[in-house]
Amino acid sequence: MYGLGWGSSRLKKADRGQIRIIEAFLAVLIIFSAFAVSADLTGSRSATKSESLASIGLHSLMKLDQDGRLGMYITDGDFTALREALDLILPAGICFNLTVYVTVYDEQMQRLNTDVITNGGFNSQEVAFVEYICASQSATLRCYVIHVNLGMAT
Amino acid sequence: MPAVSIDTFFACALMVIAVLSAMAGTSTLLHPYINSAVDKNTAERYEEISKYLLLNSGTPLNWGQNGSIKPETFGLAKMGTENPYELDIDKVSRLNSESMQAMSYAELFTSIGLPDVAFRLEIKPVFEVFINLTATFPSTDNTEYQFEILTEKNGAPVPVYLKCYVIAENYLSTTEVYVSGGKTRQNVTISNNVHGPSLLAVLARSAYDARIASSKVYAFAHKTAEPKPRGTFLRLSPLSYVLNASFAYPAVNLSSAYALTFEYNSTLTQKASDNGSATYEIPHFLDPSLMIIALTGWNSTAFFIEWVAYPQVPVQVGADFAGFTSLSNVFAYMYVVTINSAIFECTVWVGGPRD
Repeated sequence: MYGLGWGSSRLKKADRGQIRIIEAFLAVLIIFSAFAVSADLTGSRSATKSESLASIGLHSLMKLDQDGRLGMYITDGDFTALREALDLILPAGICFNLTVYVTVYDEQMQRLNTDVITNGGFNSQEVAFVEYICASQSATLRCYVIHVNLGMAT
Repeated sequence: MPAVSIDTFFACALMVIAVLSAMAGTSTLLHPYINSAVDKNTAERYEEISKYLLLNSGTPLNWGQNGSIKPETFGLAKMGTENPYELDIDKVSRLNSESMQAMSYAELFTSIGLPDVAFRLEIKPVFEVFINLTATFPSTDNTEYQFEILTEKNGAPVPVYLKCYVIAENYLSTTEVYVSGGKTRQNVTISNNVHGPSLLAVLARSAYDARIASSKVYAFAHKTAEPKPRGTFLRLSPLSYVLNASFAYPAVNLSSAYALTFEYNSTLTQKASDNGSATYEIPHFLDPSLMIIALTGWNSTAFFIEWVAYPQVPVQVGADFAGFTSLSNVFAYMYVVTINSAIFECTVWVGGPRD
C-alpha cells in the first residue's frame, strides 16, 4: 500500500514486519466484523417474522383453551373439530400442522394423532414453532402437549 | 518538485479516495439492514402499545358503562377479568360512531397519552354472513320470500348453525338450520295481513366452536315500499344493558322491542319514555353470541323496524393510514379477543412518523 509504503519509509527497516502484521490483523478484523454485523442483521429480520407467527399461534390456542374446549377436543379424539376451530380462528393465509402428545405420570410422551392435523399444504419459508400445554377436562387428569408448526401460505 | 513529494501526494489522495469509497459502499450496503433494525425496535414498541390497548382496562375502570365519563387513560379490557384479551362490551360499543355515547378519535388519542403514536382499531366477527333475497312468490293470502344465506371467511365456506328470526308488525318467527357447505336457501312466508317492512336477522355460530359467532340483518319490503335506511326513525344505543332509543321525528310511536341471541330471545320492557326518547332494559343472556335488538313502531302511518347489535360490532375507529404509509411507520397486529364469551377478530394498526 502507498500509505504504509510512505509511512514505512520513515521507519527503520527492522520495524517493517511489525507494521505488516498489524495491517493484516486490522484487515482480518474489519472483514470478520462486517460478516458478523451482516449475519446478525439478516437473522433479526427473519426472527421478527417468526416471533409474530408464533405469537398469533399461541394466542389462538390460548383462546381455544379458555373454556377448556381444546382439552375436550383432544380427550374426545375429535381432531377434525380441533383443526376446523383453529383454522377458523387463525388469520387468513396462515397454514399449520399440529401434533398432540399425552403425558401420563412420568412416562414418555405418546403421540395421539395418527394422521397429520393440517389445514392445507405446508410449504413456507417463514416457519414458527409453538408448544402449548393443556389439561383434560375429564375426571382423570391428563396433560396434553401440543406442537404446532405455523407458516405463511404461499 | 522532488519525486518523493509527488509520491506522497498521490499516496495521500489514493488513501482518501479509498477510505471515502469504502465508507460510501458500506453505508449503501448496510442501509436497509440498519433501517430494519430501527423498524424492529419501532415494531416492538408499537406491538406493546397495541397489547396495552387490549389488556388494560383504562381509568376509571368502568368508563364504558357510563356515557358521560371520558377515560383518563384508554384501555378496552373488561374490568376485573382474569382472561387475557377479554374486552368490555360497553367500551367496545362506545367506539362505534353510531352510538350516542361514542368517543371521538381525538378523545381516544388524548387518553392514550402518546403524542407521537396514531392508531386504528377494527373489531369484527371471525367470519361473515351474507344474505341475498333471490325470489319472491306472492299469493292471495301470503307472500313467500326466498333468501340465499352464505357463511364465509375470506371466501372459504364455514360450516355453521344458523338461527333465523323474521320480524314484522306483531310478528316474530324463528327457524334453525345446520349449514355444512357455507350456503343455504331459506324460505320465509309472511301473511299479507301483516304490515311491512320486515326484517330477517340471522345469527350464526361455528359448528365446531359455539363461541365463534357472527350475524347479519336484512331489511326487506313486505306489502310496502323499500325500507328506509337504518337510523331514519330511531337512533339506538345499547349501553350497560340499557337500550336508549332516540326519536328522529316527534310523531314516532314504539310498538315492540326484541332482544335476539342464538339460544334465546325476549321481548323487552320499556323502562321510561318521554317525548323524544325511550329506554329499555336488556337481559343478560348466558349465550356466547352477538345480540340483535330490534324495535318496531309507527311514524304517523308508516310502520318501521330499527335494529342495533350489542356489542356494536363490526367497528372501526382511529386514524386513516391510507396514503400515509410512505411517510410513516405503520404496523398491523392481529388478535383474537372475546366479548361476552364470543370470539372476535381484532386488528390494531399503530403508526408514527418515520425516523
